[in-house]
Amino acid sequence: MQEPRYTFRDLPLSGVDRGTNILVTGPALGGIRELTMRMLLRQHSREGALFIAADVDGRETLKTYERLGGDLDFARVGVVDCTEKGAANADCNIHAVGSPADLTGVGIEFSSLYEQIHANGASQVRTGIYTLSPFVVYAPSKAVFRFLHTLTGRIRTADGLGVCAIDPGTVDEQTLSSIAQAFDGQVELREADGERAIRARGLPDQPEEWQPVEFDTA
Amino acid sequence: MVMESIERTEPDMRELTVLCVDADEHERDAMRDALEADGADILLEAAAVASAVDGAGADDSVRVLDAASVAEAAESLAGDGVDCVVTAYSLPDGTGLDVAARVRDTTPDTPCILFTDESPERIDTMAHENVVVEYLPRDMPEAHEALARLVGNVVSQRSQVGYPLPTREDERLAAVEQYDRPGMEASDAFDRLTALARSHFGVDVAFLGLIDAHQERFLSCAGAGWETLSREDSMCTHTILQDDLLVVEDTHQDSRFADNDRLDELNIRAYAGVPLETPRGTTIGAFCLTHDVPRTFSEAELTNLQRYADEAMEQLELRLQLNKCRSGEAAEGIGTGDGDGGGPS
Repeated sequence: MQEPRYTFRDLPLSGVDRGTNILVTGPALGGIRELTMRMLLRQHSREGALFIAADVDGRETLKTYERLGGDLDFARVGVVDCTEKGAANADCNIHAVGSPADLTGVGIEFSSLYEQIHANGASQVRTGIYTLSPFVVYAPSKAVFRFLHTLTGRIRTADGLGVCAIDPGTVDEQTLSSIAQAFDGQVELREADGERAIRARGLPDQPEEWQPVEFDTA
Repeated sequence: MVMESIERTEPDMRELTVLCVDADEHERDAMRDALEADGADILLEAAAVASAVDGAGADDSVRVLDAASVAEAAESLAGDGVDCVVTAYSLPDGTGLDVAARVRDTTPDTPCILFTDESPERIDTMAHENVVVEYLPRDMPEAHEALARLVGNVVSQRSQVGYPLPTREDERLAAVEQYDRPGMEASDAFDRLTALARSHFGVDVAFLGLIDAHQERFLSCAGAGWETLSREDSMCTHTILQDDLLVVEDTHQDSRFADNDRLDELNIRAYAGVPLETPRGTTIGAFCLTHDVPRTFSEAELTNLQRYADEAMEQLELRLQLNKCRSGEAAEGIGTGDGDGGGPS
């Protein structure tokens, strides 16, 4: 019998246990969005996917997800749109908060959507944040930690998977390292000489060296 | 014999206090049932599973307080010991988020759960963007069971604290409890150390603090009358995450502290702190200097600060050992029964 885990198709990463929260770091222009989205691809119909969109709005998020092979079953896929111009859309299960500074609103929409996706039969839910930077920039740090602990705590106890992206270029080193404390491990993305590679840290049973990856985006 | 059995059972017994806020008496009763009677097992099990320490003891129990309005809730919160707040959204004199805001002002770490059949888009978060709460729809099937589980989870996961947590926080807190015994504050040795440090470095304040579950408690503080500071406001919260010392030459230039108004109220603009690490490798507090204007700290100064911290830690360790010896004598030479005795590893 195989333990139910979260696996990643077409990425040089081994599966991770249920309840794992991963911080994904890398340059915004270096393919971190595609990496995050790929880690969120549902591997079977009983998996759900929940996006917290802060840099890119809900519609754009879903478009990218679908292009990368994500299955949009809106009973089990939904978005909390935190961008300033984000608009709610019931057909696409997009819920708008209106500002990345309103972490209370983001937290409530997230919890509500998580319950809904669960109630619709998704026993395992992949949650992604793209990216954490607007929250760090617009909200006070206490609220950011409160929000991150709430989010990762729910994912941990509900056997979910959390994949949260941040571009290290947008926050200072101290902030990044204290944010990393809330996660079980990290996946780093780098681009050197036109080659992209990823490396996992703090997660059990992962390759230690940089692993080359190929992405569609420039 | 009697004394021994008291010593053994007390630390295992935990009472979890939940404050339930709803204007409707029937809803309050239903919550009480869900948490205190029927649901107590679910709640305590969730708390134990989610927590890294040993499971729920047989003596664990849940106590429910209730309130019908924001004002009543505020009154209950003023008395201490509320571990979790569950609140409806609409209240006669405000909303559940007003209750949560009150919690953040008084005991900021306490988790709050909005338990309501109002859908998220009908909840006005405008005035309370930073309080961050859990949300559980009341109209879903088996909502009360889910509530009991969620209360257990948020309490044991410390899931609404506004600061980074060290890994293995449960172990760390157990260690703090060992060192944090009555009489430690009164120690002249600590007062001498902080007074010496303050004059040696020519800073505003020098202090020695232990970081417990929700606040930093100052065992000694030269240059100010600080007794406690909530963890989310304390810079030492970040110091205990490091292996090394934390130096902040200007709090306004550091994104971790720039928006922390409490530091300005305390006239803290510069900080240097060394984590206090026990012989078993757990960090229990910090020895620190603060100054009211931005300031640099030379290598030589930091080396000396480390020496002060080493001295303070050794004093703490000696007192711990002394306490153990004394309690051993009090039990008339019978082993104290706490397995943590042994020497440093």
